[in-house]
Amino acid sequence: MRGPSLAVKGGILLAVVFAALKFVLPLFTAPLPMSLIWLYLFLATIGIVVYGTLSAESTEALLGPVFRFLSGEGIGGMAKSARLAVLALVPLLVGWQTYSGLVPSSQPPAENRTIHPAPPGEFVGLSNPVPNTPENVMQGRGFYSAFCSPCHGAKFNGNGAASDGFNPPPANFSDPGTIAMLQESYLFWRIKKGGVGLSVEGHPWKSAMPRWEVELSDDMIWKIIMAEYAGAGQKPRTWE
Amino acid sequence: MTEVQLLQTIGMSVVGLGGAILLFVKARFVRVMAFVAIVLGAFSLVALSVPQMASMPPAVEKIDVASIKEKKELAAIGQKIFFGKGQCALCHTIGSSEGRCPDLKGVGAKLTREFIYESLTQPQAYVYKDYEHVGQAKFFPAKMPYINKKPIGLNNNEILAVIAFLQSMSGEEVTINLSELAAPGPAGSGGRKDL
Amino acid sequence: MEHMRNQKSVYAYAALFLVLAFAVAMPVGLAWAEDAPAGAATEYRDIPGMGSRNLIWIVAQQHLLLAGFVLGVPIFAWVCEIVGVRTGDQRYDKLAKEFTKLLTSSYATTALFGGILLFLLIGLYPKLMNYLSDVFFPSFLVYCALFLLETATLYLYWYGWDAMQGSKKGLHLFLGFLLNVFAFFIMVVPNSWATFQASPVVIAEGSMWAKAWTATWNPTWWPVNIHRLIANVVLGGYICGAYAGLKYLMAQNAEERVHYDWMGYVGNFIGVFGLLPLPFAGYWLMREIYQYNQQMGITLMGGFLSWLFILQAMLIGILFVGSNYYFWLGIMHRIPGSEARYRRPILTMLVILLVCLGVWMTPHSLVASLEEARKMGGTHHPLLGVFGVMSAKMTVANLMILVTFMSFIMYWRAGKEETARWAKVAKAGQGVILGIAVIVVVVLGVWGYFVPAITRINYFSTTQVLVVLFVLLTVTPLTGLLMKSARTTTEMVWGVMPARAGYALVLNAVMVILLMTLMGYARSSSRVHWHVYGVMQDTSQYAYSPALGYAAAFMALNTFMFCMLVAFIFWVATLGGEKKGGATDTASVKGKGATSPAAGGAPVPATGRQ
Repeated sequence: MRGPSLAVKGGILLAVVFAALKFVLPLFTAPLPMSLIWLYLFLATIGIVVYGTLSAESTEALLGPVFRFLSGEGIGGMAKSARLAVLALVPLLVGWQTYSGLVPSSQPPAENRTIHPAPPGEFVGLSNPVPNTPENVMQGRGFYSAFCSPCHGAKFNGNGAASDGFNPPPANFSDPGTIAMLQESYLFWRIKKGGVGLSVEGHPWKSAMPRWEVELSDDMIWKIIMAEYAGAGQKPRTWE
Repeated sequence: MTEVQLLQTIGMSVVGLGGAILLFVKARFVRVMAFVAIVLGAFSLVALSVPQMASMPPAVEKIDVASIKEKKELAAIGQKIFFGKGQCALCHTIGSSEGRCPDLKGVGAKLTREFIYESLTQPQAYVYKDYEHVGQAKFFPAKMPYINKKPIGLNNNEILAVIAFLQSMSGEEVTINLSELAAPGPAGSGGRKDL
Repeated sequence: MEHMRNQKSVYAYAALFLVLAFAVAMPVGLAWAEDAPAGAATEYRDIPGMGSRNLIWIVAQQHLLLAGFVLGVPIFAWVCEIVGVRTGDQRYDKLAKEFTKLLTSSYATTALFGGILLFLLIGLYPKLMNYLSDVFFPSFLVYCALFLLETATLYLYWYGWDAMQGSKKGLHLFLGFLLNVFAFFIMVVPNSWATFQASPVVIAEGSMWAKAWTATWNPTWWPVNIHRLIANVVLGGYICGAYAGLKYLMAQNAEERVHYDWMGYVGNFIGVFGLLPLPFAGYWLMREIYQYNQQMGITLMGGFLSWLFILQAMLIGILFVGSNYYFWLGIMHRIPGSEARYRRPILTMLVILLVCLGVWMTPHSLVASLEEARKMGGTHHPLLGVFGVMSAKMTVANLMILVTFMSFIMYWRAGKEETARWAKVAKAGQGVILGIAVIVVVVLGVWGYFVPAITRINYFSTTQVLVVLFVLLTVTPLTGLLMKSARTTTEMVWGVMPARAGYALVLNAVMVILLMTLMGYARSSSRVHWHVYGVMQDTSQYAYSPALGYAAAFMALNTFMFCMLVAFIFWVATLGGEKKGGATDTASVKGKGATSPAAGGAPVPATGRQ
């Protein structure tokens, strides 16, 4: 056989993928959550198994060493003690996994927050009744700087003076992933009902957005929405 | 043990049992079934590994006339009816021409409340062929149903609330007075008698 | 004699199911005993312990899966019969007949589950059923009439199979055609009820026919019809494959191995060909839902159910990989000596598939611990967040379809050598078409990030789909023409596939069934707490939508039950005579099918191997 067996190559590939995702990627951007790393490792494993089991010869090259190692056929010395160690470790690992899954912990559970959940039906079909005139936008900008800019920032980028205090951070309107993919009616709902108005998948307890309907009239909210789109240089999403 | 942990335990057991069968049983049919069980167990375990969320229904709301203090609240109730029980939004849009029926943007400013009331309760009494009054007469694919009769069957209070919503979303002053709302009970919902 | 035995087993089988029906009906009877408060009409009844919704869930899902199978198999059988007539290859006729035989018993089971479902619905959800009957009564009648027609046609089709060979074959084919037409409408009519629940339209007064007609033409009716029609073909194909896979694993002799190896290939082939256009149909359906009501669209794709679509991506991904794997195993094992030549292209395709799958499965909102989420600034990753949106998903889905298609083309050409003089030009042309298609799909996918959503949805995604369809529709006939004059250099050897090929076929079928149960949950919970979306609210204690994990456990249970049920039906069908199915006369077949895409070469029993 030339070179290391397929099983060894596969193991190396998995290790490389893991190292790249876990240690190299964070050098350039935010680290990946473990859930995603497991997902990519799972795909890599599928790839190795599929490729390795294409023909009888490659199946032997991939699975043969693994089976021989596990069954202890024809191995000795170092490999033998390694085999015993693995066989002992696997049940321990399973036990530890079960234990850590059941033991009460002070860590909050992993979260899966939908940032833009579905709005309630009564908001979906609304449209902005305020005409989009320069005066109205100017007024909206005034309201924005009074009520919104402390958190969402004077430059509409989510970098207001108070923004550092919040997790999750206030929305950045200049990011194409926020207001640009939403309709005006969606913003109307979020401003009016605030964080507590979110549905369960939006984790209402996680958003510090106030319920502005208490303080602002509908008219003012619509003007603020126009000012946000104008200020951030975005356009509301349309469906036709 | 929580429900998720219970299901995870079951899933693990199924996968484990399947694995044992694959290791020790020779019968081909049993092996294939064990393989299927392993796949299904693994699928369940994956689905159980993400944070679980059930979607709860909202509380059923009833209009309580006595608790309405402001016209704004009436309009908010009307908004819910418009997009819910009243089924208006199944055809009508607000600010989009995609709908099957006339767009209602600004309708509260264009029409009087009496006209809107008549359109809801006697939809065929006076029909604008072309809602915008310009160009060719337009035909819409659906016919306006009686809103105060079955199957939609809104009562008078609910119709008034919808009108209040239509006015407020057109940027108009709501002209429905809270005193017009009938107290709960069989009386006062005129259109409902001829059901 | 054989008929007698056949009849007997059918009776035994009917008795078994009656027992089952009673087991289900008993608790319902108990539930009926609960009285409604005086004066009020009963809106709901419950089944203590199990819960009415869970029971409906199981019965409805079994009914739907069986129905999908019963509607998919006639298409499958009819196509096989036509191929049999066109190529003169008796194997296809045998295959079609073998499956039509399964059809008669599964047809009865489907109807049985339909009946149970109907009784349960009337008993457990009277308010809803009352409303639906008001709207749809005329179409109930149409449905009954269609059922009569379908039943009569099915019996003629099945019992007349042998009588209508030879000169009357045309009539038999016509019967098969009728069978499919009726089956299609039997699917279409109940679809209108289900889609009305998801996307109701306002019903004004009018005759009862007018009301039913208006309600039938609701916005998601045709998208669901098309989606389900294609999905049924896929289900039929893959179940045929799984059946063959299982039979192959259990085969006693070389003859059976050859037959079931070939049958597995045909099943997988039909499944894959249905699978290729299926994402397009799904996309169209999703678009209609968004257009009908964005709230529902967002609930599905971006909200409460968004993780469901990650699971869907996983299942579809495994299905794609599994189908390709089976093609590749076919090349490696059925064509001796091909390993060295095909290993590299296969590796390339595999890597593309997995990278695409990785993109498809990357969620928009990630599951992260508090610490991880803080580092990312929310649950969207700054870099990989771009994979989470529709533009990326559409692009990789199109690429995966292209790769799978190329896998098939590769299989088709393996072991043959083109003799036509224009072969070089044609092959170069195919390469150019494919290359341009890939570039267009990727460019549009990337560009899609920089245009308004509506431009992307209306123009970019549609163009991507059209480009891929164009590749499918040009390369297939071109390859067909090339293969017509091709010289076979290496004969295909059937019956030498390793055991894992059989398992791969079973895995694919399980994936399709799981996908159908998953989409059933999606369709049902996208209505959230409504019976009829926005019109009739669910006020029962089961108005909530269960979490994904709980639902997945149910889907797994339903899938397993369906597999057992199908295995049972198949087993019952083998009881009634014709011991070896169609395995007896494969040896008489001449090497004729080389040019037909479904034939995949002539069968040569693998003597001396295994």
